[in-house]
Amino acid sequence: MAEKIKPPRMRLPRKVKQDEVFKVKVRFDHPSFTGLGRADVDETKFNRAVPSRFIRNMLVYYGDDLVSRFRMSSGIADDPLFTFKLKAVKQAPIKVVFVDNEGERWESSKDLKIKT
Amino acid sequence: MGKAASPGQLARAVVLGLGLALSAAAYAAAVTEEFQIQGLVSPASPKALAAALEEQLAVKVVGFDLRDTASGWPVMRVEFEEGAVTRDDVAAVIDQTEDPTGRMFKVHAGPPVLSVAPLAEEMTAAGTLGDPPSAALELTSPVEATSESLARGLKLYVANCVKCHGADGGGTGPSTHGIDTDPRKLWVWGSAGDAADGYLFSVISDGRTDMPPWGLVLSENERWDLVNYIKSLPPPQ
Repeated sequence: MAEKIKPPRMRLPRKVKQDEVFKVKVRFDHPSFTGLGRADVDETKFNRAVPSRFIRNMLVYYGDDLVSRFRMSSGIADDPLFTFKLKAVKQAPIKVVFVDNEGERWESSKDLKIKT
Repeated sequence: MGKAASPGQLARAVVLGLGLALSAAAYAAAVTEEFQIQGLVSPASPKALAAALEEQLAVKVVGFDLRDTASGWPVMRVEFEEGAVTRDDVAAVIDQTEDPTGRMFKVHAGPPVLSVAPLAEEMTAAGTLGDPPSAALELTSPVEATSESLARGLKLYVANCVKCHGADGGGTGPSTHGIDTDPRKLWVWGSAGDAADGYLFSVISDGRTDMPPWGLVLSENERWDLVNYIKSLPPPQ
């Protein structure tokens, strides 16, 4: 790829209460294509046209624990936005890791602050 | 011919023969090379690539094999005269040509890599998620393994599980292509006693690695029917 893909961006509530369920939003600018095209006019099926590229896995860590794993296929959108909920059981950083089908890896992490 | 040829006719025959020999020599020097092309995404792509090549080099695009090629990539056949143009020249022009959709064409090198092997981190993640909570292990089945329950279980199994776990429970269903983790062999539970009920129920309900949580789709009784059916699967002969 000509352009360098930047790490994902994550948004957390500024402060949460202990045991509160809060939302995490993750935005990742990554291209997605199946690699298929239809260059043959008489053909009804798609042929291989370019190498495929898509996000394969998203792993969510809360502190040291893996809390969620999202598995994706070539059907995923370009630049997807993920929203999911977690329960604030401890004060620890939240880390998301993305891996695409070419084996490239990105991560970003943010501290969760619990109101005392 | 009845009479001897005149000098004029002889000269014409010599010129004709020479011409034929020359053109045959020229024909022999023409070679046809095959290129695997990346970037043929629309019906306009082959035309655009052929036009660009013929405009920039003294070559002739003989044809395209767009489907059912050995490598899976489309193949373009180009004819050119040996010496005047080399394979590298043609490849360089292909790599600098832009498709009408805005992508660059490229000569494909090497085997088609669809997806690289999972990273160690991904494998760990696939293996560590989904341990059943200890309370789930103590569950006992409220549905007895009667023939009605097994019949319902078979129906649910065929509708939901066969695509990955296979009809015999061997873990080789038609949809297993492209999954990181192999589906479990289910016939191993045939010899398990009632102690396995809670474990099976919890894994079916919450899902594991690549298996979705069936608790969202199937009712509790349906899941117990499935547990009964899985435990009735015979081991392979």
